[in-house]
This record gives sequence, structure tokens and C-alpha cells, in this order.
Amino acid sequence: MARETTVALRLATFLLMAITYLAVEVACDPRGDLSWLSVAFGLTFFLAALLVQRWTPSPATRQRLPGAWTLVMAVLFVGPLILEPVLRELTGQGRPLELQLVNGLRMVGVGLAALASWPLCLRLAGVVSLFLMLFVSAMGDQPAIPWLLGAYAAIGAVWLMLMYSSRIRQASLAVVEHDTTVVLERARLRFPWREIALFAVLAAVAVSLTMLGPLRDRLTQWELMPTSGGSGAVDLFARFGVGDGPEEVAGENARAAGMVESDKLIEDNQNALVDMISDLYGPPHKPPKDQQRLVAGGFAEIIKFHGKLPENLRPSRDFDTSRKGPKSPKKPESRKARALFEVDGRVPVHVRAMVYGSYDAESARWLEAEKPVSRMIESEDNDWMRVGHLKAFADWYSADERHRLKVADLKTNLVPTPALLTRFRIKRVDRPHYYDWDYDGVVVLPGRKRTPPGVIVHTDCRTLDPARLPATAFVCCAPAGATATTWTEVPEPLRPEIDRLAAEWAGHHEHGWPQIQAVLNKLRTTYTLDETATPPSDHPAPVLWFLTDSRRGPDYLFATAATLLFRSLGHASRMCVGYYAAAEAYDPETEHTPVGPSDLHAWPELLLRDGHWLVVEPTPGYEVLRPRLPWSTRIWLALQTVGGWLASHPFLALACAAAAALAVWQRRVLLDALLVQMWRWFPGRSWRQTVFGCLRVLERRCRWHGCARAAEQTLAAWAAALPHASAANADFHALVRLGEWAAYAPNLPAPLPVHEVRSICYRVLRSWTPHHGRQRTPKASLA
Amino acid sequence: MTLIPTEPPGLGSPAAPSPIQRVRRALNSVLRGKEEVIEQVLACLLARGHILLEDKPGLGKTTLAKALAAAVGGRFARVQCTPDLLPGDITGFSIFNQKTREFEFQPGPVFADVLLADEINRTTPRTQSALLEAMAERQVTVDNVRHPLSETFFVLATQNPIEHHGTYPLPEAQLDRFAMKLSIGYPDRPSQRAMLAAAVGVCSCHNDVTDRILALPELHQLQESVAGVTVAPIVQDYLIDLAERTRTHPRISLGLSPRGLLTWQRVAQAWAFLQQRPFVTPDDVKAVARPVLAVRLGIEGEPHVIIDEILSSVAVPLYGG
Repeated sequence: MARETTVALRLATFLLMAITYLAVEVACDPRGDLSWLSVAFGLTFFLAALLVQRWTPSPATRQRLPGAWTLVMAVLFVGPLILEPVLRELTGQGRPLELQLVNGLRMVGVGLAALASWPLCLRLAGVVSLFLMLFVSAMGDQPAIPWLLGAYAAIGAVWLMLMYSSRIRQASLAVVEHDTTVVLERARLRFPWREIALFAVLAAVAVSLTMLGPLRDRLTQWELMPTSGGSGAVDLFARFGVGDGPEEVAGENARAAGMVESDKLIEDNQNALVDMISDLYGPPHKPPKDQQRLVAGGFAEIIKFHGKLPENLRPSRDFDTSRKGPKSPKKPESRKARALFEVDGRVPVHVRAMVYGSYDAESARWLEAEKPVSRMIESEDNDWMRVGHLKAFADWYSADERHRLKVADLKTNLVPTPALLTRFRIKRVDRPHYYDWDYDGVVVLPGRKRTPPGVIVHTDCRTLDPARLPATAFVCCAPAGATATTWTEVPEPLRPEIDRLAAEWAGHHEHGWPQIQAVLNKLRTTYTLDETATPPSDHPAPVLWFLTDSRRGPDYLFATAATLLFRSLGHASRMCVGYYAAAEAYDPETEHTPVGPSDLHAWPELLLRDGHWLVVEPTPGYEVLRPRLPWSTRIWLALQTVGGWLASHPFLALACAAAAALAVWQRRVLLDALLVQMWRWFPGRSWRQTVFGCLRVLERRCRWHGCARAAEQTLAAWAAALPHASAANADFHALVRLGEWAAYAPNLPAPLPVHEVRSICYRVLRSWTPHHGRQRTPKASLA
Repeated sequence: MTLIPTEPPGLGSPAAPSPIQRVRRALNSVLRGKEEVIEQVLACLLARGHILLEDKPGLGKTTLAKALAAAVGGRFARVQCTPDLLPGDITGFSIFNQKTREFEFQPGPVFADVLLADEINRTTPRTQSALLEAMAERQVTVDNVRHPLSETFFVLATQNPIEHHGTYPLPEAQLDRFAMKLSIGYPDRPSQRAMLAAAVGVCSCHNDVTDRILALPELHQLQESVAGVTVAPIVQDYLIDLAERTRTHPRISLGLSPRGLLTWQRVAQAWAFLQQRPFVTPDDVKAVARPVLAVRLGIEGEPHVIIDEILSSVAVPLYGG
């Protein structure tokens, strides 16, 4: 019979599994971003699989997979399930049940690809990869998924062709061979009674558990794929749950759904935005007295509800409220807001609340900036509002960043938006006059005391790398003494000291970002953030106290100092107070970043030529949202980080390098010692396994020293070819005979007592060190 | 040094030479310097196979056959094959007895325990075919009457590879009945000197007949012991792999038949038995591969090269597969 699994076919199988592995990794990540840890693990795993494929001898016939490999497959499958609790404990992050199962299946698939020499494994690897890609296509909506599906289709086509040609060749050879062979091959087929019985038992167990088990488990089973149907009660990291748990919507109780954008919302007596739909379309709707209606709900979809509704002001998993819940829904629970608003998207994010223009040196207070005169919000075709006063698009921006800011408990009518805002949207609040500017860059809902809880603000903001900004990007002001505007004003009592410091810190830099960066670096590196440090009450200029005396203070002093220094250098700047969504506050459970009152923060901003205000951070520990970096830049930055660490820890690095070099140099000695110890600790359950383990160690030892046993060489022939094996080492000779006995006499008892067998093996392992092996078995002497 | 007992049941202790050892010595004294050939002949005898000796004249083919027949103590018959030899001359024939008024079967030389078919390729295929049933089934059918042969029936045929005129090459079906094809070859110098020295003072009229060493029941018992030598499944898989390789090799027109595969396993068992081992190793399979395969494969080219190539192309099983 011809070998069915050619090298090309095995390689194609491996490529299929590699693409599948990557696609599953991308699809399982909610952000569609690959972590370095997962990439490193994947590469290591595939490397190990490649080594297994390289070193596993190819069966010449349709042999069954050895039992040990089946055990390995089982371990690979349950591995992610076993490791999950550990990872959750260590990292605080977890994956839902179905993703753990998919991960296990993925690892089994790679294992099967590594064992593709067996035709059964080869075909199973293809089936597993196909199933996983179907899962990916159903579950993943990341941009990379279509590309991966395309690559899978291309390689899959090649795989099918190779498989087809392999089968044709096999069939043609079978025809050439004797008819007897074909008959024997067919006679080997049997009806799979055992497999069918096993499947029936498993199905019966599943059905029994479903029918008799607890309700929650039952639901979990029914909703296993594509979701685990979690409620958070059983599995904290379950996703896309339906109808069972505090975050779930029970039928029509839409308010219990938390912050969702569903078309099905209800009327209640809470504050709302404006009445619109019922005013414009459809039959008139008569709401109860003192009640406003949510504009986001169409009239036809308004649901009347009597009684007090629970409120859920925390973000959670996204799902559609129009889905049906269970027949006997659990009563939803109220959950109070944990923050003012929650950010869904990349952080850090600066959300302005107040803007200050002039600094009064006498009272040491900032004066609020004036409200913009003209309305600068324009409506787009859909619900989106564009910031209209901005000038033409400048070429220094990177790709826009999308955020969703979910209002939970804002006490004001602020519409939270990140800096560098270009457009925003509150669903169906689609008239520009619903919005207004409190300050330049601060959007509010006019006529409202507070922004209603549950409102979701979609925003698109620009990102840029300030280092790429040309000097002309910044709006310059006239030299000191000339006509000062609000954004360039430095109080005269402070000017001498501010000018001196500005000249000292950044005077020798070029105008533009280099000067700004010099100021920021100085503040970030030589000044300390101290929220408790307050200037003396009798000090005439707190900012000067901060800059020259204490060199520590709260963030508003950093912002004030930076703003005044920028103005002294001729850059139009202002100070803002708002909310800072820190990256450290990201909650992986809800995949949101809560922003509370304690996140109030002050920062300076610089006016750009196109009308945007650029956020900069002089406060240590605070960062500004940067553009997504390409992979090349990330790798380069990582290398720079590693290089910097090495430079700062030279002795430790040298010691590590020396240890690594020593380990590499003596790797065979170390590995051999490790294998011998493993053999001593786990010699095997039978004397045959003991002998086989010993022979494997010896074979590996000899392979490292150029006297490997060839595949077609028998044990005795190999031993005879070793010049010092037969005569010089009687134990080795005895071991070879023991090996033959163990391998080829499966039904005969051990020729020696077991303890003596172990003793022989150990003596051989001890005397045949790699060092001696090198002296004893030169390559040239081997046949 | 720890000694591992390897002697299978049926073999005597080293102190008392076993019957096999004595036969080996006897044959070695007759055919000097050909230990390997004698070992293979013994293996073939214990495996209940038949041998085709292909070599030049005067190298000891007949001597070996006669010595073997004498050593096993059976009846020895020799047929000098010629073109006018008839099948009945080998199998026997029925003649009409005038007294009893009945046909009586007169057994031919095939009813011996050791049959030497000398120059077998000189007789016609018709006569050669008379041996087919005898070699494969150890019986002959004459006039629709089945006549069983000896349980230890052993054919030792010879042929001359040099001369081709007036010869009839053995058909494949006939060749497949042989377990081995051996060549004795010229003895080495020391062996020739010993042979010459031994001949001095000995009259050529005295046949150097070997004494009987093995009784036929004893041989039969040894053959049964050989059949009981263990063959592990991985070794059988190895045999099958090798057989399949012979069927797909581009320079082999006729691969190994299932009968050939069975013969190979049996001879390997005998070889392991001769090595005093109760189980077969791939070494045993390899040791007998050349004589077993050379007789039955349709090899285009040098048989030994092709056979070695096949042996080296299949991985030897170890560690349970």
C-alpha cells in the first residue's frame, strides 16, 4: 500500500491548522488584538508540534494511533479547562466555557497535524480545522477574519487537491497490486458498533443532564454554542447570556437590561431628552403627567409598564433586548451606578468638563473660558453630529478612534466626549439644536439639568503622534508685550520667572513640539505628583511655589505651570478640567473603563492650526491616547525597551547571558541528566517500559554524538556497529538483548528479575555518559 | 556480566551438544568453510522448506544433499533430470499385475525423505511440474489416487547457472515452491587446504557417508518447535511492510506472494531457533531475506542489491511500533 500522507500533504495540513489557530485566537479576543503572551505561546506550541512531526516515525501502513498519543490528545483537550482557574486567579481575566472548549479543540487540532503521518490524524486535523473556521466565521467580526478565511480557503483548496491526488495514486497502486490485497483490505472494514454505542451513551447522558439537572445547567447546555448562555452567576466570564441573571432582560423589562441601545425602550418617570417621535409621527401618545418620553423609542415600540422598574446603571454584556427570555423569568435586580460614565474603547481618554482661558495672578485662579459664539455642530445624514467649525482635514492625523461613552450617573448635562472630537452621536437624537457648546470642545444638552442615565454617546476622535507635528501646526502668538489674547496671556507678575524658566528649559529647542516636549519632560521627570501638597496660604503665587520651591504638587499645578510655560514660549494654550479614563482602571469583566468623581483631572491643551485642541500631559503617571502603532513600530519599541533594560542592568544581563550560553553549550549534558533522572523517577509500569525508556535515552545520547541508530537498523546491528558496545561494555550488550526481548517477545515473561533489569539499565545509563560516548564512538568508525 | 537465558525449549544444554549442533558439525565436516550456507540449509530444513541450489558444477551440491539426507536418517533419492525424463519417473506410476489382475502403484523417488533433483532445469516443464503438488502439499496424485509423502519430505534441487543450451528455466509457480535459493560458492583457501589434507590416504571408493544423527520423529518434533517460535505483531507488520515494498518496487516485476510471505516468516522462525532465541527479531527476517526473496521475486538487475535496498527502505519496529 502506498504511503498516503506525503510531505506536501502534511505541510498543507499544518498550514491549515496554523491559520485556524490564528483565526481562533483573533476571534476569541474581544478587542481583536493579539497579546504578546498568546503569540509567544502559539509560536512555542507550533514549534513543539513541528518537532513532534519531524521526530515522529512515519507509519508505513494504516496503523492505529498509539495509545500514548491518544492520551496526549486528551490532555491537550482538557488542558485549557484545567488551566483556566489558574489563569483567572493569576491574571484576573478569563474566557467563557465555549471558548475554553474551542481552545482545547484547537490544541487537539495542532496535535493531530503534528501526527499527520497517520492518515486518520491527517483527516481528523482537516475536520477539526474546518469546524473551528466555521466557528470563527460565525463568532468573529474582527477585520482580520475575512483575510484569514480567504487564506484558509486557498490553502484548503490545495489540501483537497493533494488529498485527492494521494487517493488516486493509492487507488491506482491498489489496482496494480494483487487482488488478494484488495480483498483483504476490504475485509478489514467493520461496522462501528463500539463508536455508535459510545456516542449513544454520551448523548443519553447529555439529555439526562439537560432534563433532570438544575435549571442553570440546563440553560447552559442548551446555549452552549455559540454562547455559553452565562449570567455571571455561574461563570463570571460567560458571555452573551440570555434570560437568567441580574443583567438579563426578562421579556419586556427593558430598563433592567442596563446600558443598551435597543429599539425597544419604555416610558417611565425618569428624566428624558426631548419628545420627538410621538410629536412628529403616528397617533398622539398621551404620557402620564410629569413624565417625559425617551426620544430613542419609537411610538409603536413604547411599552407601558406599571409599577416601579428596577434600574441597572452598569454596563454589561451587549445583547438585543428584543430577544425572548425564559418562560418563567427571574425578577431582575437593581444595580446602582459605579461611576459617572463608562468608556467602551481604547483608553486613556480625556473628557473635558471645564475650560479655562485666563489666569488671575492675584487670586491665583483660572477664569472660565467664554462660550463659543457660533453654533458649530452640523448634522450628517444619519444620527451623527459633526463638529463643523473645524478647518480642513490636516495630514498629521492617524486613523480615527471610536469610543462609546455610557452615561451612568452624571449630575450635569455634559455630553462626555474625548478630545480631538470630530463627530458624535446619541442614537436618534439627531438634530443639531439638541446640543450646544459650553466651551470650545465641551458638548452639553441645553435646557437639561443632567444627562439621562443610560444614554450612550458614540464618538469619533482623531489621534496623532505629536512628534510628527510640524512647527506650523501650532498656533503662535505675538511676542511678549504685544497684543495678548486669552490663550496666550501670562500674568505680568509671573512673567519674569515664567519666561526665565521657559527659556532655561526649552529656549534652546526649536519652536513647536520640541519646545513643548522639553517642558513636558522637565515636569514629568523632575517634579513629583503629590495630591496632598498644597501651597502656603500666604504665598503670592502658588504656581511659582510649585515650580521653584516645592517641586511637588497636585495635577492642577502641573497643568497651570505647563500652560503658562507654553504661553511664555509663544504657544496658544489653555487649561482644562475634566475626567481621565485611566488604562489601569479597565475592567476586563465588563470590558469597560469606569470613570468616577475621583478621576477628575486637570491638564493643559495646545491650540492647533485646524481648530483642534491638543491634549498634553505634564503630570507624571498620566498619558495621552496615542494612535494605534503598526506592528513594526511595536516590535521596534519592544526591542528598544529590552535594550534599555539591558543597559540599565548590565551585570544581571551579563550573568543571564553567561548562564544561557553555558546552558546552550552544555545543553545535551543537562538534558541527558534530566532524562536520566526522569527515567529513575518514572521508570515505567512494566519491565518492558523500563528497558524502552533506558534505550530511548541511550539512543538520544548516541544521536547527539553522531552514532544514531538508523531507521532500518535493528537494535543488535546498531549495537554491533558501536565499537565499544559489545565487548567493552557487557551491560550494554545485556541491555540490547533485554531490549530485543522486550520488543519482540510480548508474551514471554522477563528473562531476569525486574530489579536486575533495572540495575542493568541504570549501570548502562551511568557509564554511557555523553562525554564517554564522544570518545568511544567516533563518527568514522560507524558503519 | 549478567547472562540472559535465551535458550528455547527443545535445545540441549551447552554441555551436551544438541542434535542440531551435531548435524551442523557433520555437515561442516563434509562441506568445509561454508558455515553460512549450512546454517541456511538447516533453517530451511527446520522450516519445512525446499532448497534450490544454483551453482557451478563440482562445488558440493550433491555432497551436501547426500550428507544431509544421511544425517537426518531418512530415505534419500536422487533424480538426475534429463530432457526425456517423464513425470511418472518422479511421482511413480501404476503397472498392471498379471497375477493379481490389478494395477499396482510403484512409488517414484518423490517418496523419499530427502529428494535430490539434480540439474532440475534440464528436464522439461512438464516434468518439473510433477513436483508442484509434492512440494506444496506433500502429496502426489496418480490416477486420481492421492498418495501422501513423508512428513519430513525435503527437496534439494540443483541447477547450473552457466549453461543455457538445452535447459528449461523453472516457471514462477515452481520457484515459489522453493523456500530458498542458495549458492555454495568456492571455498576459501584454508578450507581448500583442509579438504586436500583430509583427502590424502582416503580411497575415493569409500563414500564419506555421515552417520545418522537425527531420527525422523526427532526432526519432526524440532520442526514443530520451530513453528512455535514467537513472532510479535510488530515483526509481522514489518514483514508485511517489506512484502508491500516488493510489490511496489519499480524494478520488481513480480512481488512477494502471500505464500512467499508465510515462507519468509517460517524461515525466520527457524533462523531464530537456530540462534537459540524463542522469538523472532527483525534481524532474523533480514538474515534470511536474500535466499528467500531471490528465488521468487521477478527482479530486473542484481537481486542482492535490490533486496538490500528494500530492506533498508523500511524502518525497523521497536518500542512497540
